[in-house]
Amino acid sequence: MTDNKNIIEMNNVGIRYGQGPEILSDIKLSLPQGSFYFLTGQSGAGKTSLLSLMYLAQKPSRGQISVFNHNLNFTNRDQLASLRRRIGVVFQDFRLLDHLSAFDNVALPLRVSGMDEKEIKKRVTELLTWVELEEHMFDKTSILSGGEKQRVAIARSVINRPDLLLADEPTGNVDNIIAGKLMKLFVELNKLGTTVVIATHSDKIINDFKYPRLHLQNRGLHIYYPTDTSMFGGLNV
Amino acid sequence: MSKTSYISRKQELPLKSENTSLFLQIIISIAVFIFAITLSGVLSIDSMISNWNKSILGSITVQIIPVNNTNKEKALAETMAYQEKAVEFLKSVNGVTKVTPLTDEQLDELLSPWLGDDVDISDLPTPRIIDVKISPDAEIDFAQLSMDLAQASPQATLDSHKLWLNKLISFADGLNLIASTVLLLVAAITSGAIFYTTQMSLGLHHNIIEILHIIGAKDTYIAQQYTKRMGFLGFIGGIIGLFFAVPAIFFIGNLALNIEGGIISDATLGFGDWAVIFSLPLFAMFIAMFTAYYTVKQTLKKML
Repeated sequence: MTDNKNIIEMNNVGIRYGQGPEILSDIKLSLPQGSFYFLTGQSGAGKTSLLSLMYLAQKPSRGQISVFNHNLNFTNRDQLASLRRRIGVVFQDFRLLDHLSAFDNVALPLRVSGMDEKEIKKRVTELLTWVELEEHMFDKTSILSGGEKQRVAIARSVINRPDLLLADEPTGNVDNIIAGKLMKLFVELNKLGTTVVIATHSDKIINDFKYPRLHLQNRGLHIYYPTDTSMFGGLNV
Repeated sequence: MSKTSYISRKQELPLKSENTSLFLQIIISIAVFIFAITLSGVLSIDSMISNWNKSILGSITVQIIPVNNTNKEKALAETMAYQEKAVEFLKSVNGVTKVTPLTDEQLDELLSPWLGDDVDISDLPTPRIIDVKISPDAEIDFAQLSMDLAQASPQATLDSHKLWLNKLISFADGLNLIASTVLLLVAAITSGAIFYTTQMSLGLHHNIIEILHIIGAKDTYIAQQYTKRMGFLGFIGGIIGLFFAVPAIFFIGNLALNIEGGIISDATLGFGDWAVIFSLPLFAMFIAMFTAYYTVKQTLKKML
C-alpha cells in the first residue's frame, strides 16, 4: 500500500468479458485527490467498464488497481465494502430500487453505514428538497419520470458526501436548467474535496466546465487538458 | 451517532412479497409437527427406560411354585410353608431392605387382566409371589442368591427382571435411535428447504444485492435481512406446527394409556419434556436464521 494523494491508481489494467478481446488495454491512470475529470469516448469505447472498475463492481482481467491507497489484490470483502462507502455512483440507467420510495433510495447509503434514522430523515429531506423532489419524496421511484429518477440517483450518490463521485451521463435525462444545477452541485462537492469523474457525451457541459478529459480511444486512455486546444478540438465526443 | 438496530431497520430486499414464503412456512410447519411428535416419542421412551432401569436396580421377584398335591388345602399349606422359609431367608440376605409376600387380593389383581374377573384363582395352581426390595448400592450376586434360595426353600425361584427388561431396554434404545435419526432428517430437510429458498431468493434479487454492494453494504448487512425474514417464517411455521402437534401428542398418549400391562404407562412426559417441546418454534427460528445467514454469506462470497 502506497501513501500518496492519488484516489485511484491503475497500472497496465486490461479488461475483457469472457473469452472475448480486451475492450480496455494497458490502462495507466492516476486520479489525484480533489481532481475533476470528464470521461469521454464513443459509445462502446469502454467508459462504463472503466467506471465499474473505479467503483469496484468488477476486477480487471489483468493489471493492478489501488483505490484510496488500497491495492485491490490484497483487499478483503469487508474492506471493499468500506471503500465503496467512500464512492458515490450515478448510473446511466439510474439503478434505483423501484419498490422503494425516493426517500428510501436516497437514504440507502446512510442506512448501510448504520446512521441514526433521525439524522437520515434530516439529511435526506434536505437534499431531496434541494433537487426539487420534496413533493415526490415518498413516491415509489417506479412512478417518477426519467428526469426525476435521475435526480434521485444523483441525490443517492452524494448523500454521504463521498470522497470519489463517479457519474455515467448524469445530465442525460434532465433539462438544461436542472443539468446546470446538478453540475454546480458536482463542482461544489469538488471544491469541498470530492474527486469527480463524469462520463458524458455533452459538448456543452465539457465546454462550459473547463476540466481535463480522460478520453477512451482504441482500447486505450488518453488525457486531454482544456488548455491544449489542438487536442481538445480533435476529439470526437 | 447512535446506530439503528437491525431488528427495526428498514429492509431494502422485498422478501415479504416472495411467493416462496408460504411454501417455506408450510414446510417448516410440517417439519415442526413431525419433530414435536417424534421428540415426544423420544422423551417418553427415555422416561420409560429410566423407570425400567430404576425397577431393575430396586427390586427382584421370588416365585414359590405351588406344591402338586391332590389335597388342595394340604398343597396350599405346604406352598405357604415354602413361602415362609423363603421370606425368612431373604430377610437375612445382606442388601435386602424389604420382603413383601403378595396377598391373595394382590395376586388376583395381577392376574385378572389375563384371566378375567370371574375366575377364582384359588382353584388354579398359581405361584405365590414375593416382592423383594434391595438397596440400590447393594452388590448382590444373583446367581449365588438363586442357589442359596433354592436350598433354603426348594420351591422358590428367583427372577431379577434383568433378562427380559434388558431385552426391552435394548428394543427401546433401538426405537430411540430410529426416532433420533428421524429428528436429524427432519432438521436436515428443513435446513435444505431454507437453503434452496434462500439461494433462489438471492438469484431473484441479484440486481438489488448488486446495488447494495456498490453503495457499500457488507455481506452481513444483506445476510441480516434474510436472517430476520427466515427467522420470522421459522417461528410462525413452528407455532403452527406445534398448534397441531400438541393435540396429536395427547391423542397418541391416550391411545398408549389404553394399552394395559404397565409397560407404556411408564412412558410419561414431565415438565422439562414439555418445555423442550414448546421451545420448538424457537428452535425452528434459530435453524432458519442460521441456515439463511450461512447460505447468504457463502453465496455472496462468489460475488464481487
